[in-house]
Amino acid sequence: MNATIASITARALLGRRRFLLLLPLPLLLVGLAWLAHGLDPDPSAWGEPVVAGLGFAVVLPMIALVVGTGVLGAEIDDGTIVHVLATPVARRDIVLAKLAVAAGVTTAVTATAMFLTGVIVGSVRFGLGLAVACVVCSIAYSAVFLALSLLTRRPVLLGLLYVLIWEGLLGNLLAGSRVLSIQQYAVAIAAEIAPSPVLHARLSLPLALAMSAAFAVGGTLLAIDRLRSFRLAGETS
Amino acid sequence: MPPSTGTVELHGVSRWYGNVVAVNDVSMTLGPGVTGLLGPNGAGKTTLLQMMAGFLPPSRGELTVAGRPSWRNPEIYRVLGLVADREAVPGFLTAWQFVLASARLHELPDPERATERALGQMELHDAWHRRLGTYSKGMRQRARVAAALVHQPTVLLLDEPFNGMDPRQRLHMMDLLHRTADAGAIVLFSSHILEEVEQVSGTVQVMVAGRLAASGDYRSIRRLMTHRPHVFAIRSSDDRRLAVALMAEPAVAGVDIGQSGLTVRAGDYGTFARALPRIVQRERIRVRQVTPSDESLESVFAYLVAQ
Amino acid sequence: MASDDAAVGAGVIHDIGYQRYAGPRLGRRHVVTALYLHSLRTAFGLGRSAAAKIFPGIVVGVAFAAAVVLVAVRSQAGGVIPYTYLQFIDGLGIPLIVFLAVIAPELVSRDLRSRVLPLYFSRPLRRSDYALAKLAATVSAVWLLLAGPLLLIFLGGAFSRSGGASAVWREFTDFLGGLGYAAMTAVVLGAFAVPLASLASRRAIAAVVIVVGFVATAPVIGVVNAIGGATAQQLSPLVNPATLLTGLEAWIYRDEKLDVGRYGPLYLLVAVALVTACGAALIARYRKVTV
Repeated sequence: MNATIASITARALLGRRRFLLLLPLPLLLVGLAWLAHGLDPDPSAWGEPVVAGLGFAVVLPMIALVVGTGVLGAEIDDGTIVHVLATPVARRDIVLAKLAVAAGVTTAVTATAMFLTGVIVGSVRFGLGLAVACVVCSIAYSAVFLALSLLTRRPVLLGLLYVLIWEGLLGNLLAGSRVLSIQQYAVAIAAEIAPSPVLHARLSLPLALAMSAAFAVGGTLLAIDRLRSFRLAGETS
Repeated sequence: MPPSTGTVELHGVSRWYGNVVAVNDVSMTLGPGVTGLLGPNGAGKTTLLQMMAGFLPPSRGELTVAGRPSWRNPEIYRVLGLVADREAVPGFLTAWQFVLASARLHELPDPERATERALGQMELHDAWHRRLGTYSKGMRQRARVAAALVHQPTVLLLDEPFNGMDPRQRLHMMDLLHRTADAGAIVLFSSHILEEVEQVSGTVQVMVAGRLAASGDYRSIRRLMTHRPHVFAIRSSDDRRLAVALMAEPAVAGVDIGQSGLTVRAGDYGTFARALPRIVQRERIRVRQVTPSDESLESVFAYLVAQ
Repeated sequence: MASDDAAVGAGVIHDIGYQRYAGPRLGRRHVVTALYLHSLRTAFGLGRSAAAKIFPGIVVGVAFAAAVVLVAVRSQAGGVIPYTYLQFIDGLGIPLIVFLAVIAPELVSRDLRSRVLPLYFSRPLRRSDYALAKLAATVSAVWLLLAGPLLLIFLGGAFSRSGGASAVWREFTDFLGGLGYAAMTAVVLGAFAVPLASLASRRAIAAVVIVVGFVATAPVIGVVNAIGGATAQQLSPLVNPATLLTGLEAWIYRDEKLDVGRYGPLYLLVAVALVTACGAALIARYRKVTV
């Protein structure tokens, strides 16, 4: 973990316009929860669409996608990554620094929003459960999207395919695909900490934790390996 | 600057993408001094530089920098500096922050002093607190070179460093490259623009279509290609009389009289170069312009390509 | 060469046979048609590298796979229809969003990024022509994406259905109804996606904006449905283009899936207004964009 790289990455991320894309979503989440709570204090009817439908299915993956592909993808695209790579810093430290920034920013945005939503929907404990799930799955998502940035030139599209088609469409249709769906891990973890009729966990907690760790570690290792063999594309390629 | 810890050596290095061979069996040894890597666009210069810089593995052959291969070897960057051909820099950083970050990433014991020195060398001390996004193209180029020099590498690779520089900036850069090389470093830069190379260095490696077509001093390379006669354009006060006198010289293969002066084809460069002033003085002709019309790298390229 | 610039005196323009084209020129209509067709081909990756065909290819594959499954199920089950043409189209909601997130940036954001708009606008092509041609290409691409599988379902259904000519005719009318709904879907979804894509010059950002635009309002509807009364439930689908279409379908095709009460015509009004507003926004965007 290299502090110089982390601070530059953080500055680059927070200064870009794409970061502003992120803000309406968590605001929408908290706002909707607050509004719904005002109209109907009993969350049993509207809790699930807000927490699971908007929170875990949209807010968390989309923010993780924009941030996770942004920390490395932008530098690869415009070629400024060479300034970092042409130094003796270990590739592992580079990846860990980027991962820390991605996971940190994603967590900060999503966990805060989900905590507030949870408090509105249920109790402080519920809010904490949602926040913890966000922390764990932010790390998993960030590692996956970081690896995607190094594997392909269109990481955002592939990430969208993963979130929309794999986690969204197939996750609802095929029970088997849920094992590989980070969204489901988040739901399972939150449901374990603070059981609630709003959340329907489809996986057991040990499985969810193990798979989250697998994604986080696997994604990081893959990213490190790919970065070691990174090929610079010239202006003409 | 520490003495050179070795050389850059290539043995039979090739690189291909499917059916396209970008670099074809290139062998060379680079020692201290400035070398120009020349070639038309698409000749494989950038590919070769990327292989030297450890950003591309050779498909075949051996490539070592200071005795060690550069592919998958981040330690090589302690002695190697690269200025890539992509122009982009993080616009939100000031030049100071950018070069300082580079100094820190190189784990230098005193990053601030190294940054000051590098920025001073590149004459950016007036503007180092401004963001890179506000810089002109030439200044950004200099900032990138400063970041590559901050750790005083013994091998400095520059990919088309003079792109977008005005003549004054080019002179400064050339001067800097020579000073760096005089202190014992190996400096290799690539270019497809002849004037840059003609003035910076006499030593060139010429690449054409992926192959190394020639190495050494380019004027002597030119002279080695004796099949083609040297061509000179001469403008004088009395072209016709000069033409007659020149035709009498054995070194002259032919003379054309044109609207804009004489075009003289000489078989033997040295003899002609000595004969011309003698003739001019004897005939009392005033010569206004003598230009070797194909002493430039353009014709060297063209000749090598036609091979 | 150095010897040439030694010439003193007047310059001369050499006659190397260059001639100005003085023949007939095709007009604006042809330019627009050419742009439309080219954009349509670009959407599916035709005429480009293999990599450009991957993402549209995936969605086309998903759509056809679903159609094949449906045909198989129908032929096994005899005359029972598990999913109508309309339900098939609704079921393809998410792949359609992905498809739009892939092609709309490809058609629109790429030109903005590479700054080729001056090349377009210096031809007899008005800015509004450009915007509408791109929009039409997007809409056509979505319709084609749906029409192919629908045709497959029709052929499968026509052959497996018992009941002779009248059954085939019924199948055909259902198929035509499906094509009509596909057209509506294409128009509404396409009109919504393209202006969003034109806001971003990087394809990745445009894709995310489109997806968020489609997906963010869906949970809102869920919430309203859970809390609100009957009227709110009948009106809530208006806020999301996909559910707007479902509501429209329910009204036009007398499908009982979604209850829209008396608000059917309102759905039509909102749909038309949405399409018009998006078209106007797109034209305004291209009027304003400076290159």
